[in-house]
Amino acid sequence: MIPQSHFLILGAILFAIGIYGALTRRTAIGILMSIELILNAANVNLITFNRFLGSPDGPAPSGADGLGQIFALFVIAIAAASAVVGLVLVIAIYRNSKTILMDKINLMKW
Amino acid sequence: MNGLIQTLNNLLNDFGLYREFVIKASFYFIAALTCLFAFMVVRSRDIFHCAVFLAATLFGVACVYLFLNAEFLAAVQVLIYVGAIVTLFIFAIMLTTKIHDKAIKQTNRQALIGGALALVLLSSLIAIINRNPWKAGGPGADREFLGLGELGKSLMSTYALPFEVISLILLAALVGAIVIGRTYKE
Amino acid sequence: MVKYAHLIPLFPFLAFAINILFGRKLKKASAIISIAASSASFFLAALTFLGNLKGGGSYVVAKWLALKTVAIDFGVIVDPLSCMMLLVVTIVGTLIQIYSIGYMGEDKRFSRFFAYLSLFMSSMLGLLLADNFVILYIFWEGVGLCSYLLISFWFERPAAAKAGMKAFITTRIGDTGLLIGILLLFFTTKTLYFKDLAGLAGDNTVFTIAALLIFCGAIGKSAQFPLHVWLPDAMEGPTPVSALIHAATMVAAGVYLVARAYGIFVINQIPLMAVAYIGAITALMAASIALVNNDIKRILAYSTISQLGLMMVGLGAGAYSAGAFHLMTHAFFKALLFLCAGSVIHSIHVEDEPSLHTQDIRKMGGLFNKMKITGATFIIAGLAIAGVPPFAGFWSKDEILSELLKSGHYGLFVVALLTSLMTAFYMFRLIFLVLFGKTRSKLRVHESPNVMTIPLSILAAFSIFIGFIGSPFMNHAFQNFIYFGDVHTMEIIEPNYFAMGISTAVGLFGIGLAYLFYILNNKILPQAIRARFSLLYNVLSNKYYVDEIYEFLFIKPCLRLAALSFKFDLGAIDGTVNWAARVAMAISRVKSWIDIHVVDFFVNLVAVLTGFASLAVRRIHTGSVQNYLLIAFFGLVLIIVIKLIGG
Repeated sequence: MIPQSHFLILGAILFAIGIYGALTRRTAIGILMSIELILNAANVNLITFNRFLGSPDGPAPSGADGLGQIFALFVIAIAAASAVVGLVLVIAIYRNSKTILMDKINLMKW
Repeated sequence: MNGLIQTLNNLLNDFGLYREFVIKASFYFIAALTCLFAFMVVRSRDIFHCAVFLAATLFGVACVYLFLNAEFLAAVQVLIYVGAIVTLFIFAIMLTTKIHDKAIKQTNRQALIGGALALVLLSSLIAIINRNPWKAGGPGADREFLGLGELGKSLMSTYALPFEVISLILLAALVGAIVIGRTYKE
Repeated sequence: MVKYAHLIPLFPFLAFAINILFGRKLKKASAIISIAASSASFFLAALTFLGNLKGGGSYVVAKWLALKTVAIDFGVIVDPLSCMMLLVVTIVGTLIQIYSIGYMGEDKRFSRFFAYLSLFMSSMLGLLLADNFVILYIFWEGVGLCSYLLISFWFERPAAAKAGMKAFITTRIGDTGLLIGILLLFFTTKTLYFKDLAGLAGDNTVFTIAALLIFCGAIGKSAQFPLHVWLPDAMEGPTPVSALIHAATMVAAGVYLVARAYGIFVINQIPLMAVAYIGAITALMAASIALVNNDIKRILAYSTISQLGLMMVGLGAGAYSAGAFHLMTHAFFKALLFLCAGSVIHSIHVEDEPSLHTQDIRKMGGLFNKMKITGATFIIAGLAIAGVPPFAGFWSKDEILSELLKSGHYGLFVVALLTSLMTAFYMFRLIFLVLFGKTRSKLRVHESPNVMTIPLSILAAFSIFIGFIGSPFMNHAFQNFIYFGDVHTMEIIEPNYFAMGISTAVGLFGIGLAYLFYILNNKILPQAIRARFSLLYNVLSNKYYVDEIYEFLFIKPCLRLAALSFKFDLGAIDGTVNWAARVAMAISRVKSWIDIHVVDFFVNLVAVLTGFASLAVRRIHTGSVQNYLLIAFFGLVLIIVIKLIGG
């Protein structure tokens, strides 16, 4: 009913928005949220392919089944881990420099 | 999920022709909403609003998963993303901002060029997607649903290695977070 | 006995080494060391002489050079001539050293004086013992060196330093001739041993030229005309030096050389006549200059030159034994004369200038009463040199005269006679002016100490008695001992009464003339003669202007050449060096400019460019992560778009 490409376009839109946010947000937390968006876009793509292409080796239990979904599961886990570490870093930076604005945190400036 | 679809099926059985239309319409509506909420995430002035809009976006994505016959993933998405990660975000926001700060401009100087770049990317991606004749079919496609039990079985047998690795990653993230987040008592 | 003869020069050399190294600590003891050494040499010389009488001869001491064609070794020649000379040199040398203790007693370089004297003794004795020309030349140079050192002993006086230089350079000219002669002989005969050369010499040009060249060395050392100019100036040295070196021994080395190499001289008449005539000219010239000189020591110096000329006349005319005989007797009484003169100089102090010692005889007079021993020995020596019998000089001079008559050299006979007349005259002029008459200036006089008068007495004894060796009373023992030619047994030599008579007459006449001039009419006669013969007087008192001629002909051009060379060296050579230095400096300036402005420019350019580039490029490091992300993403999009469009 709904063609595969539309799902993929949805994923593309989410990805673009996420990239825009990563480039533009002024706070670190904003950037992290954009990164979550990007990861979700990837997940959408994965699930789409799972639905339309199936698995490589046939239905379970003999073959790998639900490969896309398993992959998406792992992506979510990874996203969680990265969010955790990122947020802890933000908190640590905030403790050090009392600001969360990315413009002000430029110790590596020339 | 099984019952729900069947219920919906039963409900909409009569509306035969409408069924597809409703499915399509609802999908486009939810997709548009998700995109709108995502846009709001990156454009809100207040970080709290961003967090809330993020939660809404993730809900919308979960609904999209439903359309793709990935019920379990939808549930997992809501549970973990919305339930844990967004909560984590809100905690972090609370810890790092003063509540009475006035809302400041949330975009930096790169807004324009970033936006342009994103647009270019988007148009290229859409062009590629449309150009490509997507393969469909293959074993296991078009399945109505994938049972939880079967997912679990394949997780434990075929994908056991990534499973273990992911647990290690989570452990590492946990320990790392604790170490970084420590405060030193003088 | 004879085999230890080579130690004779070694004892004085040891004394020299000790005195030179430890003289400062030894002070007066250095004299004892020198005298001990020369006494030891005397004893050894006496032993050698006795050994030679018994039949000992020459021998080789040590091997030295072994060249391809010939070997030159340190050899010692022990024959009558060298034995006689050894005895003379050691006796006279020892006595003079004893005398020097008194004469040089207050000198601050006392020990060095004795060191030099010992070195001289060693060189002279070595010269006498040399059996080949090479060794002889080594010691020849040695005595020359000692002469120079001793003449300019009081080198703080510029006159002494100049005199030393003059002596060295003048004798050097003679020595060069000697060296060339030696080399000529070597290249002709491949040997330099005296005994071999005597056999090999043949009557041809090479040997004639060689003989003449060897005689050049003798001319220089024995102060013959034209190289006589250094001896009068050498009187600047201390009187013992004048006595030893320039009267008795070193100047006799020239005569000794001719006698040693006589085998080469007799090949034909040319060398012999050269020797005789130069000797004659010298004898006459020097005696005439002594007639009008007013310095004690210079009169004696010219007398030495004249007597050496006489010896050369004798040798040149073939009177080998006579020449050697006169050499021996002259050594004794000339040394005595010089020591007496030294005694006089040492003792008198001019009243107005207490520190000044005068040597001008016009300032002296009437000293006999205050210095009896000196005076007596002075007179004895004067009688000896004037040829009055039975003193030593009579016998030797008579031998020369009789040989001249016998060989038919009548011209040389007349010259010798004239010389004897002048000798007697000027010697007694000296004696009368110094010892008798009124004291011409205020002088404080005292007799010299015993250490000086005892050698005088001993030498006076020699001057009286030594002549008898060659007299008929001892059957002409000397002439039968020292002769040239084949071995012959004791000859009976008929005494030539004519020669004896005329030489005695001439001597007495000269003494009488001097008495006339300087005792009887002592003011009027000399001045009258001077006025009458003023031109002759001027020529004589200016020594025939020889020094001035040499100055003009040789010395001034030489000095001018030296100044020119110096200017050339300064200007051209130093100029070139400086110019090269300046060029190098200019080049270095250019190079430094290049280095600063060109090389450094490029290096700095690279640095500056890098700086500019980095200035531009480092703006990328904004420190903002999002910028980096933007850039990375930009690249990605670019790739995608290109792929998309390119297909």
